[in-house]
Amino acid sequence: MGSYRIVLGLVALAAALLAPFAVGQFWMTLITQIYIYGLLALSVDLLLGHAGLYSLCHASFFAVAAYTTAILQVRHGVPTLLAAPAGIVAGTLLAILYGASVRTRGVYFILITIALGYIIWGAVYRWASFTGGDNGITNVPPPSIGSVTIASQTAYYYFALAVVLLCALGYRILIRSPFGLTLRGIKASESRMRSLGYRTTKHLYVAFVISGAMASLAGVLYVYYNRFINPVAASFQISVEVSLMAIVGGSGTIIGPFLGSGIVLGLRNWVSSFFEFHAAVMGIVFIATILWAPHGLVGLFSRLRARDTKTKVAPP
Amino acid sequence: MNSGVLQAINGISFAALLFLLASGFTLSFGLMRVVNMAHGAYYLLGGYIGLSITRYTGSFALGVLGGGLAIIPVGYLIDRHFIRRTGENHLAQVLLTVGIAFVVGDIALKIWGGDNLKVPTPIELRGAIELPGGIIYPTYRFVLILFGILVGLLLWLIYHKTQIGAVVRAGVDDRETVSAIGINIDRLFVLVSAMASFLAGMAGVVGGAFLTLYPGAEWEILIYALVVVIFGGLGSLEGAMIGALIVGLLDAYGRWLLPEFSYFVLFGPMAILLLFRPRGIFGRES
Amino acid sequence: MNAAIEVSNLAKIFGGLRAVDGVTLQVAPGERRALIGPNGAGKTTLFHCVTGTLLASSGRVRLFGFDVTQLPDYRRTELGMGRTFQITNVFTELSLVENLVLSIIGTDRRKWIMHRPVSAFPAIREQALAGLEAVGLADRSDQPVKLLSYGERRQLELALALNTSPKVLFLDEPCAGLSPGERTRIFNMVRALPRNITVILIEHDMDVALGLADRVTVMNRGRVMAEGTPDDVQANPEVRDVYFGHA
Repeated sequence: MGSYRIVLGLVALAAALLAPFAVGQFWMTLITQIYIYGLLALSVDLLLGHAGLYSLCHASFFAVAAYTTAILQVRHGVPTLLAAPAGIVAGTLLAILYGASVRTRGVYFILITIALGYIIWGAVYRWASFTGGDNGITNVPPPSIGSVTIASQTAYYYFALAVVLLCALGYRILIRSPFGLTLRGIKASESRMRSLGYRTTKHLYVAFVISGAMASLAGVLYVYYNRFINPVAASFQISVEVSLMAIVGGSGTIIGPFLGSGIVLGLRNWVSSFFEFHAAVMGIVFIATILWAPHGLVGLFSRLRARDTKTKVAPP
Repeated sequence: MNSGVLQAINGISFAALLFLLASGFTLSFGLMRVVNMAHGAYYLLGGYIGLSITRYTGSFALGVLGGGLAIIPVGYLIDRHFIRRTGENHLAQVLLTVGIAFVVGDIALKIWGGDNLKVPTPIELRGAIELPGGIIYPTYRFVLILFGILVGLLLWLIYHKTQIGAVVRAGVDDRETVSAIGINIDRLFVLVSAMASFLAGMAGVVGGAFLTLYPGAEWEILIYALVVVIFGGLGSLEGAMIGALIVGLLDAYGRWLLPEFSYFVLFGPMAILLLFRPRGIFGRES
Repeated sequence: MNAAIEVSNLAKIFGGLRAVDGVTLQVAPGERRALIGPNGAGKTTLFHCVTGTLLASSGRVRLFGFDVTQLPDYRRTELGMGRTFQITNVFTELSLVENLVLSIIGTDRRKWIMHRPVSAFPAIREQALAGLEAVGLADRSDQPVKLLSYGERRQLELALALNTSPKVLFLDEPCAGLSPGERTRIFNMVRALPRNITVILIEHDMDVALGLADRVTVMNRGRVMAEGTPDDVQANPEVRDVYFGHA
């Protein structure tokens, strides 16, 4: 790893740790949101950037985990230590079920995940007696572990940051592992992988479930952050947006999805202060990214840096 | 009152509408390998434009025609200047066309506002008629079924019995060879794309007369169209017909019997189908 | 003793086309068999059906006596088949070493490890480098395959097949599109392979095919037309007819 990257990483970490002291409450909560959506985008990117699968149903795992935790805490008074893991388990179980979609490829996989995503959205929206329908679930209490309650926004900022950093670390180990390499092999040439002896569908399934578990964790983080959950969290729009975040930031990297999250959420925030049609603005960002920056911010940056044939691929 | 039969007719009339939208979508994919998620936006925009034309001219027929025709140049521009740049990268197509749909959606919001708008239908189509068996049914929805059958028949005839249809079928089967034997594949694309746009726009007007038009309608109808295509198989006209019928009936019965779970009633069978036959009923291995 | 590969009355039909039309052949363990014939004879399709890339429409394939006809390709690789593809099929986005690593751990349980990086297994990297060395690509080991020339990619293709520890190796036109020097290199490589690996190759270059083969099978129009030693086949008037158009 180049030394400049280490320096950059340390600077970023320092900035993240000091941010609550430097910026106001508003920015801090926005950055917290960026971390959480960044984690969701990272989960999508495990499939997108590494396995070559374009899942558009990840909002489902996010929402199912969030709703499960919310309902347990709000309606049944279940403490965080049980409610949070339950949320993650619920979302992961859904991923275990939805993972059957990896039997398809290409455009069929995309369409099927879109439809699967809508099932959850529809359920959450129409099963109002259970999920609260349009109104969602409100008054989710802050997370508490024993006697410690993470009540303030600042405390939650650090909590979210810690969780996300741990996840990113785990993610890093995963993508550098042999299993991670097999995913990239499948993306590069599935037929070749099969002829080398790999049960590619099995590998993709496992990746899908891991990805779903990550998205579920993001969902639990989200519901404690927002203290509220509604059907929008399960929407197609969210699934599409987090895919875009991964691409805009730089698919295939760890920092990319977080950068993308920052760009998309920051942009929306800025635009909605003076222009009501932010869906159109988001649409333009989609269009511009696909047409002109398909490798995202990280890709643009790499292109500027690489002047010779020096490889950017780290030795295994 | 024979509710089961009533729901069946509801389902079939919805199927007629879905067929209008899904047929263009599936053939666009079959021939051009394009996944166009802006199809729902075409529906909405065409519907709104048809609405304005009907209000201005007093003619529903003109509205239907106008709504369809208006989308042809829109679809052409989007195909030529945006979608074409993505090659066969389906994810890029999805993200790009979703972005376009967002933009179109907001433009429509600006022009026509956020209220539920209904396309006014002519007097002859209002009210109800009596069907065999003593069932009283809204005239409009019944005529919609006839309209759907008519369009379906027309498309089927063109697709299977004319030379241009044969060329399109050949193109769906094997694009490279068709191109290699000298047929202007580009013009074929433009033609099929125009037809898909026309049908989508027309569907918007026709649908807007009983389902109303509102922000978000473009996504709701699109997901139905997608399920139709998943059931029926991408690239198959017959698949769009059968798929539309299945989806229309499942939706109608689902809403009637299990309103809270109507999406499950629709997507459940779809999911089961996918487990055993991912490419749908008439789809081919991609 | 069982044949390494036994194909019994294999057929593969696409719509109306009988690409492979009742092929029967046997390859002894350790044998070098060349499969020749004009374009469209069904050679590659036969390879696909034997290695599992495609499933046969009818007939049987046996690997050391074991019926593999309905098994998926990855299963056949686990059982000892290795192959190269006619159209180069390497991992262009990955580095050369990564290509070889994937080949090496393809039938190895370590491919499922998620908690340690690949770099924690230096033995694998060494094996990968050795595999690259054998095809003369070791100096480019960490570069992406994208930068390789066509000929170099063909070499990599061969290296991938060799490193799955195959018992039976299927080479589909390994020398296609290569310069004479590159051809010689491949020729020597294949010739030097140990006799515990059975080799079946499709090749249009007659020098390579006849030079390497113990026996030759000639296919035409989906069927076996002739079979024998290289000399037998060369003298066969029907074969000459097919290739040269006159007796």
